[in-house]
This record gives sequence, C-alpha cells and structure tokens, in this order.
Amino acid sequence: MNDSIEQPGAPGAPVLSVRRLKIGRAGLGGAGAIVSANEFDLAAGESIGIVGESGSGKSMTAKALTGLLPPGVVANGVAEYGGRNLLGFSEREWRSIRGSEICTVMQDPFTMLNPVMRCGHILQESMAPGRRLSRAERRAESVRRLAEVGITDESVVDRYPFQLSGGMRQRVAIAAALARDPKVLIADEPSTALDVVTQREVLALIKRIQQARGMSLILITHDLRVAFATCDRIHVLYAGALVEAAGAGAMQSEPLHPYTQGLLLSEPPADRRVRELVAIPGSVPSAGEVQDRCPFATRCQWVAEVCRDGVPELQAVADGHESRCVRLPEIRTEMAEIRARAVEPAPALPDGRTGAALVEVEHIEKVFNSGSRTVRAVDDASLVVRDGESVGIVGESGSGKTTLARMLVGLETPTAGDIRIDGISVRDWRALGDQDRRKLRKTVQMVFQDPYSSLNPMRSIGWTLKEAITTHQSGPADIAGRVSDLLESVGLHREYAQRRPSALSGGERQRIAIARALAAGPRLLICDEPVSALDMSVQAQILNLLEHLRTERGISYLFITHDLSIVRQASDFLYVMNGGRVVESGPTEAVLDHPQHAYTGELLRSVPRSDGNWLGASA
Amino acid sequence: MVEGVVSLTKTFEARAKSPAKRRRLMPVSIALCFFFLAIMVLMVLFGPLLAPHDPQAQNALAGSAGPSAEHWLGTDMLGRDVFSRLVSGARSAISGPLVIAIGALVCGNILGLLSGYRGGILDFVIMRWVDLMVAMPSLLVIIVAAGALGGGYWMAVALLGVLSVPFDTRVIRAATLEQMPRPYVEAAKALGVPNRRIMFLHIWPNIAATAFANTFLVFAGSLIALSGLSFLGMGAEPGTPDWGQMLAENQSLLFANPVASIAPGVAIILAATATNLIGDWTFEKISSRGATR
Repeated sequence: MNDSIEQPGAPGAPVLSVRRLKIGRAGLGGAGAIVSANEFDLAAGESIGIVGESGSGKSMTAKALTGLLPPGVVANGVAEYGGRNLLGFSEREWRSIRGSEICTVMQDPFTMLNPVMRCGHILQESMAPGRRLSRAERRAESVRRLAEVGITDESVVDRYPFQLSGGMRQRVAIAAALARDPKVLIADEPSTALDVVTQREVLALIKRIQQARGMSLILITHDLRVAFATCDRIHVLYAGALVEAAGAGAMQSEPLHPYTQGLLLSEPPADRRVRELVAIPGSVPSAGEVQDRCPFATRCQWVAEVCRDGVPELQAVADGHESRCVRLPEIRTEMAEIRARAVEPAPALPDGRTGAALVEVEHIEKVFNSGSRTVRAVDDASLVVRDGESVGIVGESGSGKTTLARMLVGLETPTAGDIRIDGISVRDWRALGDQDRRKLRKTVQMVFQDPYSSLNPMRSIGWTLKEAITTHQSGPADIAGRVSDLLESVGLHREYAQRRPSALSGGERQRIAIARALAAGPRLLICDEPVSALDMSVQAQILNLLEHLRTERGISYLFITHDLSIVRQASDFLYVMNGGRVVESGPTEAVLDHPQHAYTGELLRSVPRSDGNWLGASA
Repeated sequence: MVEGVVSLTKTFEARAKSPAKRRRLMPVSIALCFFFLAIMVLMVLFGPLLAPHDPQAQNALAGSAGPSAEHWLGTDMLGRDVFSRLVSGARSAISGPLVIAIGALVCGNILGLLSGYRGGILDFVIMRWVDLMVAMPSLLVIIVAAGALGGGYWMAVALLGVLSVPFDTRVIRAATLEQMPRPYVEAAKALGVPNRRIMFLHIWPNIAATAFANTFLVFAGSLIALSGLSFLGMGAEPGTPDWGQMLAENQSLLFANPVASIAPGVAIILAATATNLIGDWTFEKISSRGATR
C-alpha cells in the first residue's frame, strides 16, 4: 500500500515488536511516569491481550502505538514495525500507517462516531484514498463492509450514529477501522460500554474477523476472563509495568505473579458461590510512585525487603511464561495452596424464605413522558424483600432496575401500583407525614453506582458524615466519635474525615458512601451497581465489606447489578428483569443453575467465561 | 468588594511565597487589573486625602485650562481641578455598582436556586417574571421611571438593581438545573437531608464559581449603565464629582482641555474591563478546585 514501508517479514517473525516502552509526562522525570516498562512481540495473525486496571497504562500504550498521545506526554523506547521505530514518527509519517497498517477501535461507541455524519459517509471516509469510485460503487462497498461486521440491513448506510444502538455503533466503528484492510487492529476496551449480551457479540465478531483475515490483534481490557477467551497471549500490566506475560491457557491454570493471581481470585466466579472472595488490599498506585521497587510491593502479602530494592527484572519462569516477581521460587507452592482453597464452595444456603416482609412492591409501574414519546421504564413489577435477606435484581441497562430502586427511596414517584415499606404505604413520598418520612429514611438507605460523583466535591468527608448523622439524630451526642466509628466500620482510618473526595480513590469513596448510608442505621440497604465503577481488584474488597456488614448488623440488601457473578456471590433471592418486567424469580442458586426463562438463559450464556467456547457458535 | 479584593490579593501573595505554586501564578494582565482596582479602592477610601485640590472649589479665572504642574489634568469650565474630581468620582463609580452587584447576587441566587430546585409552579412564576423583566429595555425603563419619580443617583441604583436580579436568577437557575441530576444531590435527598440544606449547603458551593463570575459581570455592566445615566443627567446630582457627569459636562471643552473629558472616559473603560477580566479569572480559579465540572 505504501512503498516506503517494508512489508513485515518472514512468517513467525513479529509484525510489531515493542521494547523498553516508557511513557511519561514531559519534564517531570520519574514522578510523571505513566508506563515505566512494557514490552511485547506481536506475530502475524496473533492476538494478544493487554490486561490492567485503571492507571496501569494500558490505554496509553495503545495511544503511543498509534501516535495519538495527548500533548505533553512523550513515549520512549522502541516499537518496531516493518523495520522502523514507530515512536520516532512525525505526524506525516503516522498518516501512512494509521488506518492502512495499524488501526484502532475505541471504548465508547457513543462518542467515537461523528454525530453529524451518516454511517455510509463515515465508512467511505476511512476507505483507501486514491481509488476513484462512483457513488454507487462506494455505496455498494459500504454495504459490503457492513455485512462483514454482521449488519445486513442496507438502510444503516443512510442512518446517523444516534439512530443506532450501542452494539450497532461499535460494529460500524469496527467496519470503519477495517476499511483499509490493516494488518494490526488495536481494540481499546471495545466492549466495556456495552451490555453483557452485546459485549459477547462484539467480541465474537472481532475474534472471527481477526481469524478470518489473519490479522494481528491487540485487545486492551480490564477483564481477565474476556482476555482469556479472546486472545492467545496475555500481558498483565500493573502501575505502568508489565508484571506477567504468558499464553492464555498457561496463565489461567497457573498465574505466576501475585498480582495476576489476586486479580483472578478477586473476580467472583460465574458458576459457583465461594466462601469469601480473595481481595487485594489497598488500591492501585500510580506508576510514578513505584519507580524504585516492585510495583505490587505495597499490596502484596509476600512482600519482603528484596521487593523494595529496585524494580525486579522480567524473568522467564517457564516456556513462554515470564514474570516480574523476584520471590516466585519461594512462594510458588504457597500461591498454589491459596488457589486451591479459593475454589472451596460456600456452604449451601438454607432453602425457603423466612422473616417478615420488609419491603413489598406490588404491580408497580413507572412511565416517563419525554415530549411525544412515552417510555414504560417499569411495567407491572412485584417483589418482596424480607428481614435480613439479600435480594438481587439483575438486568441489562434499560431493564428498569435502577428506576425501581429510585422509587423505593422516593427519588421517583410510581405511576401505578403500591410500595409498602415496613407497613407504611409509600406511593408518594411528598404526601407522607414528617414522622413517617423520618421513620422510612431510617429504614431504607441507598448506595449509588458512581462513587466519583455521589459525594459532594466541595465538602470534606467529615462534613458529609456529620450531616448524615445529624439528619437522623437530634441532640448533642458525640458526633466526632460517631464519625470515627463509621469510618472504622468501613475499614478506613479516622483521619479520612479531614479529606475531600478528590483526594480519595474510587474504592475509598465507595466506602465513604456506604458509611454515609449506614449513619441512619437502616434495616435495608439498596446497592445500585455498587462496584461497577471500581477497579477489579477493589470490587472484591467492597463486596466482602458489604457481606461483612450484613452478618454483623443483620441488615437486608437489595442488590442491583448487571453482573450475574456478583449476584450469585451477594444475594439469596433473585429477580431477573427485562424491559421493565420481572421475568423470573427464585432462590439465586436455583435460578442461575436452572434458568426457566429464555432471557435468563441468554444472560447466563453472555457472562464472560475464560474458555474459548464463550465466543463460539452463536455470534 | 473591598474585602474581596484584599483577600484575593492576600492569596496572591501567599501563593507567590510557596515555591511549588510559583509556576502557576496569575497572568500579568490579571495582576494589572487587581492593581487598578486596588487604586480605585484607595481613591474611594482616602479620596479627600489623595486629591490635591477640593473637587468642588471653583475658580472662574483658571477655567478651561490645559494640564499644568498645578492642575495635572487641567481644569473644567468652572475652574474645578479635573484630577481631584476624577479621584473623588471613584466613590460614585464603585459604590452604586457594588450595591447592585451584591443585591443581585443575594436575590438572584435565592430566586435562581428556588426556581431550579423546586421546579413546578414556583419555577413557572419566577421564570415568567424574569422573561417579562428581560423583555423590557432597561435603560428606557429607568429613564422613564427616573423622570417620573424625580431621579437621583440612588434611585437609579435601586432601579438598576431590580433590573439586574432577573439576569442573575436565570444564570443561577441554569447552573442549579445542571447540578440537580448529579448523584451527590440525589444521595443527599435519599439520606433525608432537608431541602433548604441541599440547596444552600450542597448545591450552592458547587455553583459558587458561576455566581461570583456573574457578579463581576453585573458590577461592570452597572458601572457602565450608571455612568451612562449620569451622562444623560439622570444619575448623580449635578455638581457631585461623577465620571459619567464629567464626561457630559466637559465635552464642550474638547478643544480647550480634551483631557478633561477623555480622562473620565478612560477611567470608566478601565474599571469595567478590569472587573470583567477579574471575573473570568475568578471563575477559572474557583472551578478548577473541582466544583462545576
């Protein structure tokens, strides 16, 4: 396509070879590091997964490889493609590579496509320049390209991105990325913004096209299961450094770095309930903070003096398996024991539901009117939460599960139906008397999805908790002492009271949000996707904390999530919602092991699993 | 206003001392604006001490003279010292707009927060009132009202104040509506926090940047408007030193002593520009602390 670039060489030789990759903010030295040590080889037709949490530098790596680093960020090292170092390219040189040789698919299909361009136009724009085609030919080509990504409806060519669903948009974006038949596809979290069912379809599509074309793929993801199912080799990044690299199968059966193992174990398994999740304590440091030691040293249970003594080298520990852990020979058997212990199933839950009904929702409906359109968000849903019980509601976005929760705490008023909480009918919160309302607030509290915005950014943690306490209790009690108690109950030091939310990590913020909800001493805690905005290694901490609080205080939970593995871990009784209706309900284990409704089955099949069959057949 | 400027200059000095923050000081243009406003504040506080002559003292023999060592900016038709009148005129240039800006800040914020937060009938009533007020040409209304009610500086200030409130209300309502769906507001509601607390202690600190920036705009706008009214003879009483009035009185001296009418004009433009620029800068400063965005 472009003569100035040598066609990458012999079979087996890497297409793209990255060595000593460092990315950092210019002029800040070590403190500004984003990626401190990354390297990999990508062979023709191979798919590799780069797995890491937020702040691991995985997206910056992708940006460096397409020359799209933000201003002020520079990359050093070697990224050899066709005999030339990509990192030294000028903007003009990049233009001969992007799209035609290396292309990207980004995370958010809602902002990635230009909203004022029709899909056909978007596709035609990314096709090879220089080939003069007539209008009809270009249209035919667009239709053919869309068919390749599974869109058979020709009218999509004439539609605007906003008229398409998220999955369709991501397909259009993939078609546009592939329009010039590149050799390397970099997919940066291509399925994260999508629903579970769509996620599986999009990943299956990417994998199918990659294999059919013999293209190389770099998949960037935070989800190890997704990487295992999609890629041949996995590279795990932590705080800017590559900590382990291995074939997908090898890493899955025996992870050889404490971080990889921790990440694997902190994901709740989809197929069984475990006694307790193995959580990694603390939160992810930035690459700049761990320049002189093993990046995982601050959170590793096996940390020793040698770990803090310089950054360990990446060592080959088995055939094609590399790890950056210096203590691996000593701790390898111990790691295996922990893995064996983690699969022990939890004791079976008692059958049947006991306890008095705390919340009864009967035939509830909620209709939203926006202009001439009416949306039936919740349609004739009924459910019961009993004292001391943890109830799960699972469904995709748009299933009405969040609207239902908001009606329970009075943030929305139902259009029809009735809600009874502790015997009080709460159809309309505004019609309630002061005394009833106060009693209800003490009965039901809520933890919101996004801990980054559910705390007032202008107020300190102490202020927020103090307000939560004084709202529900009058009289001069020891408020400072209660703030400390609350912080301690969610595993934080009392000094956190002085900080602002912006100084806290996501996990810490969610702990504060839980503490705020607990201040009222509620009997029911509604958790609306409490961990979906958090890093994988922090999710397990929060789930364990919630479980611990439940056994300690005997409160009920209403657990709202899209993730079936979390619901299996965290709830006793399950309602499955779709399109505003409850389509199936029953004890969690029973529903998940023997789904009766077709939709539940579909959801179960879509939960990311590590084996390759997950993306098989029905794509 | 005076305190505001003083405290802002203090933070400026504190920043300058800490070496870590030296890199992100304030731009020179903003420093100049603060310098100019500081001079104006000095003129308001110590006007009589700073002025070399009595601004009211007439001397018909020395009238319409150009700048000299005795009279730096020359004299006007009645022989009054233009420089002294300029210094004394800072008082009416600042006091009126300050009252208007603070009045509009308080009333506009309360109305805007109520309208945005409560919604419903209250919102409808407040917003229709705002629409009505905004639809009226404000200067014309003031001219008619001042003519009918007898005029005077404080009458003009009161009228301008009432006409500035709707402008503030609308801005604050929009900012409130932007904060309303944020989870921290919903979290406070779900917690059972009283509405008044949510409005003033949760939402307001997050829109304070907008509120303050807007106040500076109102200040600059009413400074210009008041000068305009004085120019037309509807503002400050005849004889009081006032920039707008000086502009009108001295325009007949354009050839004898041009500085006499140019100087107050320049003072009006500089004062208005300085407050506008400082308003922009304050907004950037406060909102970078993590509010608004």
